[in-house]
Amino acid sequence: MANVVPVDEFATGEWYPGFKPEHFEMPYIVDGASPFRPGDEQGFWFLDFHWSRGLTPLAATLWSGDGYCWGTQHAAESLPLPPGRGITARFAGTHLYGCALPETDPREIGARANRIATNLPHFLHNYRSIWDAGRDELEATWQYFRGVDFAGTPDLTGLLGQARRYHKRSMEIHFGVMYPMLANFLGFYGACADMGIDPGDIGKFLQGEDTKIMETDRELYRLAMRARAAGLADVFETHEPHELRAALRRHGGAASTWLTEFDDFLQVYGWRQEATCDVGVPSWIEDNTIPLGLVKTFLKKDDAHDFEAASRNALAERAEAIENARSGLTREEQAVFDAGLQSNQEANFPWWQDDHNYYIDLKVMLPLRWGCQELARREGADHQDDMLYLFWPELLDVASGRAPYSGELRSLVGERRQYFDHWRAKRSEMPKVLGTIPEAVEDPVLIEIFGLNPGSIKAVQNPDAAKQTVMKGVPAAKGTARGIARVLQSSDDLHRLEPGSILVCESTSPNWTPAFGKIAGAVCDGGGMLSHAAIVGREYGVPTVTAVGVATLSIGDGDEIEVDGSTGTVTILTKSTTTADTTADTAAAPAGVAG
Amino acid sequence: MTLAGPTDTTDPADGTDAVHSCEAVVWLDEVDPERAIRAGGSKMGRLAELLRSGVQVPQGFAVTVDAYARHCRESGLDDRIDAVIMRLGGSPDDAAVEGASAEIRAMFRETPVSEHLTRRLTEAYEELCLRCVDVNVPVAVRSSATGEDAADASFAGIFDTYLGVSGIDRVLDAVRNCWGSLFTARALAYRLRQGISHHAMPIAVGVIELIHARASGVAFSVHPVTGKADRIVIETSWGWGEAIVQGLVDPDHVEIGKSDGRVLKYDVAHKRIVSAFDFAVGAVTEIDMPAKLADRQVLDTEQIEAIASAVRSIEDHYGHPVDVEWVISRHRRPGDPVCIVQTRPVTVTAAPEEAAPAAYDPVALAQKYLFSGRPIPGR
Repeated sequence: MANVVPVDEFATGEWYPGFKPEHFEMPYIVDGASPFRPGDEQGFWFLDFHWSRGLTPLAATLWSGDGYCWGTQHAAESLPLPPGRGITARFAGTHLYGCALPETDPREIGARANRIATNLPHFLHNYRSIWDAGRDELEATWQYFRGVDFAGTPDLTGLLGQARRYHKRSMEIHFGVMYPMLANFLGFYGACADMGIDPGDIGKFLQGEDTKIMETDRELYRLAMRARAAGLADVFETHEPHELRAALRRHGGAASTWLTEFDDFLQVYGWRQEATCDVGVPSWIEDNTIPLGLVKTFLKKDDAHDFEAASRNALAERAEAIENARSGLTREEQAVFDAGLQSNQEANFPWWQDDHNYYIDLKVMLPLRWGCQELARREGADHQDDMLYLFWPELLDVASGRAPYSGELRSLVGERRQYFDHWRAKRSEMPKVLGTIPEAVEDPVLIEIFGLNPGSIKAVQNPDAAKQTVMKGVPAAKGTARGIARVLQSSDDLHRLEPGSILVCESTSPNWTPAFGKIAGAVCDGGGMLSHAAIVGREYGVPTVTAVGVATLSIGDGDEIEVDGSTGTVTILTKSTTTADTTADTAAAPAGVAG
Repeated sequence: MTLAGPTDTTDPADGTDAVHSCEAVVWLDEVDPERAIRAGGSKMGRLAELLRSGVQVPQGFAVTVDAYARHCRESGLDDRIDAVIMRLGGSPDDAAVEGASAEIRAMFRETPVSEHLTRRLTEAYEELCLRCVDVNVPVAVRSSATGEDAADASFAGIFDTYLGVSGIDRVLDAVRNCWGSLFTARALAYRLRQGISHHAMPIAVGVIELIHARASGVAFSVHPVTGKADRIVIETSWGWGEAIVQGLVDPDHVEIGKSDGRVLKYDVAHKRIVSAFDFAVGAVTEIDMPAKLADRQVLDTEQIEAIASAVRSIEDHYGHPVDVEWVISRHRRPGDPVCIVQTRPVTVTAAPEEAAPAAYDPVALAQKYLFSGRPIPGR
């Protein structure tokens, strides 16, 4: 009998202050997003790691609506997925849960199977031109927004609508590419595993291709080395990231030259936010603290990270893994493997999974953010991001002048900020899964991006998760490391990592990449072997275990732990005395896992 | 003089091809394969077929089905056996079957072989000694049942085999024990359930040269579990194959690509038990494996190729998947064939969904691994 975790606790009908259902109307194909509702326990809901801070009303609308309910459901119809119709979303407070929508009608599944039999080969055959066309279309729209004068546009309503459409369109393209690539990859993965190939090696077959994200890291590292050469290491060492820009400006001379180079770098690589499709987070250009802090981090390490050597190693490891795998196959199997490998190297999912973030996830929300900030300025809001606490119809009303911001809406924004902060503090207690828990899932995004495999699904149901000292996950990057665990809730906490720390988190995003230059190991609740942490762990040679399910629950900040990225085992060696109390609290409080 | 190879069928004594078979004894190298199974049972019959097709098998002869039937008839065993079985009735309990089995097997042990048959078997054994140029040559005495392949499969391993039997008196004892093993409790119960008379499946007994085994094992022309037909699977250990066949030892596991003969994998097992010749007892028995051999890889590439080559030619000969028992003699030199001591058809076939894909088909693979409702392998 399936285990059911009730959703009642979150299906109270209460949500953000002033919320009305008509605030949350959005395009969808099968199921629209909402706060949790009674009866939702029939679905299988997983806590989405992408937004560990929680989502403001506007961010909630944009992702759950345009991302999940439109993007994934649209792509699941287009390919289609035979037994699946995309992903829908619910909110527990400000925290987003996703749920795959199953198709159960056998006739419908058969008809969909016929369609994918035509569409998947067509996609794979034309992958390069399909993705290039989608990317170019989005880049053209992006260039359009770069040229827009938000401050000089009297009525922002149209611009806000265009900016939202840009996000929605980007999600059509994003999932329209992601689903078929994943279907191809996971089919190849299954065939490899069935032919006796070590699953830990399958990710290696596709590694080592350069991405825009890796390029960004390299360029930033080059800037750090130029800062050292210019004698600026002291400035970085003696100032906190938020003080650095002013300090460098005061320093003058070589520092001014360096800042000019840094600003040139930002114009190319700085249009990126510290989160995936989150309107609530600034870009590197808006807030220099993060890239300057990364430069500071790079300078702390004496030994230079050799990006070229890492890339050569990745390619050598890839060649060796392929050779090893082939040698154990019969000639008939080699023919299947070679063709599958070629198909997956051409439509390389791990590469795309990193590269597309530069073009989509990390900047696609910026035009809307600029519009919201301009509107906040005009309305004399208390904070430049106050508009993010409005629901979409409220935002358009303010922009068009149909409703005044001052008065009721302004005070609602204050209350909603409190609501957001209240739920943000509860993040670590949020159940990882809710509803009817299956043994296995079929949606490729759930499997590969969220790491929902039978092992992790089982792990999150363990009532003693907070007490366990040995955990299993996906062996994502080989090697063993011991160190002090730093349990981070979001990239806001990245500064807490010291050289040699072991990063423990729900999951990582591209903005976490530079941290892999200094950590000794990484452990994630979610993610498969192609998740960001797995890919970057392999590139940087950092032992990494993903899809542990409950690492952030079981491991306390300051615990001494061991990560074995070859076997996928994480062991708590010594509990930190300072976190023992916190852990006890967590254990005593209903952690939300099924009992 | 060195030992002659097992397929060296010329008579070293006079160089002529004298015929040694009679109604009680058929020689592997003389019997017409058409008649081989009928006279010598399936095990010996198939060895005769293999020999004809050019596969290396040990020298030896079968004590025929006729010899068995005549022994039972003339000694009065038939009537006594029928009486015991009659007493059992249609649906006896396990204890009754066990009792009947013990009673009948004791009768076989105690009933002497007729003078005529003793003379025939003595002549044959002496001929085998001559062919092997050995005194009291040690032999394997193996039951060789008759009947359909299906019944053969059901009875696999149920009838007795004696390895390392030396001297005519012991050979005669082993032959009578093999005859008696037609009446093990399991065989009795099976026939009662199926309503088959033991008269319908008389037994022959093979007496074959014992190959002095350096290593032995089994080999399959398809994967015995998945049914994948693109590979040959070998399981092997040191010494004789009994410990492997009886499941007493965890053997080395080797997989070979059938089309190109490449070794795909070789898993060396920790082998605790070995079937070795005990000179004090005069038989092959199971003892602890010497520590220095336990973790050592049994086969080298040349030996693997020789086994694979034999398996391929046997499969080609029969036109269906087979399993074989093989032995590598102490006297085998690189380039020599390995010796096949038994072969059977393999009944396992790959289920359609388990069959290895013939080409990379992303749609079929996504359907099979991603949209099947089952976890993806390796996750």
